[in-house]
Amino acid sequence: MKAAGDRRAAVLVGAACVAWAAVPPGHTGYSDIALLLASLGVAAGALRLALAATPVPADTQLLTAAMHFWLRFVKILRLAPWEEGALIAVLWLEEQHPARPWHTAVLGAALIAYLLATHLAESGASPGVLRPQLRFLAIGAGLLALGAAAGAGMVTGPGTGAGSALLRLVAVGTLIAAVMLVLPYHTPP
Amino acid sequence: MTVPGREFELHWRTSRHARRLLTLSIAGVLIALAARRPEFAGVAAPALLLLLAGRARRQPARIVVRMRLSAGRTCEGEPVTLDVQAEGHGDRHLRWMLYPAAEIDPGDAIAADGPRARFTLVAERWGSRRLGTMGVVVYDRWRLAEGHLSVILPVLDCYPAPADQRITVLLRRFPNWLGEHPARIAGKGIEFFGVREYLPGDRQRSINWPASTRRGRLQVNTFAAERAQDVVLLADATSDAGEPGSSAQDLALRGAAAAARAYLESRDRVGVISYGWGGVSWLPPRLGRRQLDRIIVSMMISRPLTTRASWAHGASLGRLPRAALPPGALIVVFSPLLDRLFVETLLSIRERGFTMLVVDVLNAGSPVQPRMSRRRGRRGSSSRVSTDRMARQIWQMEQEAIRSSLHELGVPVVRWDGVQSLDLPLAAYARRPLAARR
Repeated sequence: MKAAGDRRAAVLVGAACVAWAAVPPGHTGYSDIALLLASLGVAAGALRLALAATPVPADTQLLTAAMHFWLRFVKILRLAPWEEGALIAVLWLEEQHPARPWHTAVLGAALIAYLLATHLAESGASPGVLRPQLRFLAIGAGLLALGAAAGAGMVTGPGTGAGSALLRLVAVGTLIAAVMLVLPYHTPP
Repeated sequence: MTVPGREFELHWRTSRHARRLLTLSIAGVLIALAARRPEFAGVAAPALLLLLAGRARRQPARIVVRMRLSAGRTCEGEPVTLDVQAEGHGDRHLRWMLYPAAEIDPGDAIAADGPRARFTLVAERWGSRRLGTMGVVVYDRWRLAEGHLSVILPVLDCYPAPADQRITVLLRRFPNWLGEHPARIAGKGIEFFGVREYLPGDRQRSINWPASTRRGRLQVNTFAAERAQDVVLLADATSDAGEPGSSAQDLALRGAAAAARAYLESRDRVGVISYGWGGVSWLPPRLGRRQLDRIIVSMMISRPLTTRASWAHGASLGRLPRAALPPGALIVVFSPLLDRLFVETLLSIRERGFTMLVVDVLNAGSPVQPRMSRRRGRRGSSSRVSTDRMARQIWQMEQEAIRSSLHELGVPVVRWDGVQSLDLPLAAYARRPLAARR
């Protein structure tokens, strides 16, 4: 039951990411192709998770042609990097739209959630394994927000207001925190 | 069976999760640079941060794996448990994945988590079998890297599961061995044999008072002597037919194991002769439970490894030493009777005066199956079907001829399908002893 719930969560978050990147629907450039690829990637990733437990017989010599086809399909489904393709397609789809930094930041957070949900679904691990990463995810969220703020011209823009100065301070603080979190892991034990 | 702990090298590589995070980072940075949109760099930042923090941790290069098999020997269908344990991986998560070899049934559990795990395996067919391989995956704390190693599982000796046999076929004349079968001569057994006149020295408690009263002279009870017989099991390994698991050789092994157990339990001396293309291996008749193990092992392996088994490459059954085929022994043959040379050898042994019983273990139909009418209507198909039918009939007639030639020489042939108890086909010969006729 837990595995099914994890799979469902991963599929829902993936579909939400695609939908979020697709709105408002536009038919400019390659947005249709990107949408198609993103949907295909999320759907195939969901199918891969659903068929992860399907047993594959060791001896396939005496199987029927239909069974051979099915096993080949399962093998391709398991080997191909569907989620990676979906990520690239979703980012590409987002890039097709005019700049909307905060919308993109939310998409980034949703994509991280999609990756974590997919990871939990395929490994069967409990959400507790993510607890040590919470500090990093929090700092990552800060960096995501700063990226959005920079995109909106609030950090690097010509503005000289108090808000812009505060954002710059936050950016420096976040970067220092990120470096301090990462550095201890580089020192040999 | 304990396998001492061994160090294995771990092959570390990036996990799928890490590859996805890397994809998100690279795609985000590239789009940010190409489109000059810094918010995409923000999308890449959390994934990069997770990767940097998680990837830089030092991983163990080796771990120690211990394995313990609950038994080194088992019978077909009997489960054995495999306990596995790993050390030296720290607080990292560990996953065991079992890849069973052919004819090994792993049951429901083929994967387990944690530093210790237990798997239950069942060998489906006799033989000295490797159980398979065990894949071990060590995940780092953040599941960004995976250390893989593969361990070859130990070998399990799987004995054929003996069939069900309780009754034993007896000789009419036993050799002069003390045993448990009532013989047709007076002796010191417990089974009533007859009444005779009292002789000086007879025990007073054996006087039959009713008979003495009737005849007017003292009569004493006599009892049947108890004897043992020599039984030689002859397993035909020249030809095999049928599906794996229920082929002629499978049935021959299971039947011979059952017969060996039944005769050894009734204190008979049992030996075995395995007849194959390479030659003949034999184990002289002996008593005791250990003999059952020796018999099964010597039948299982083509070249007997036991010191008590003898092997003669290219030897023939007609030139076996007396120890292997003692005079007056009962020979129980397990054979599909497909090899003409073997059948001729059986006839020659019978002509030498041995008492013999053949258990036909052919559990397959004719090699030429009648073709169905899928191709009916095509030119030449009817003639092909009639040829098949004729070939099938000729093969069946040949089989009948082999059996009747054995019948003519007084060798009973019983058929056994491997499913029912061996008592059923042998029941007709269990009540009346087999006579050795020349």
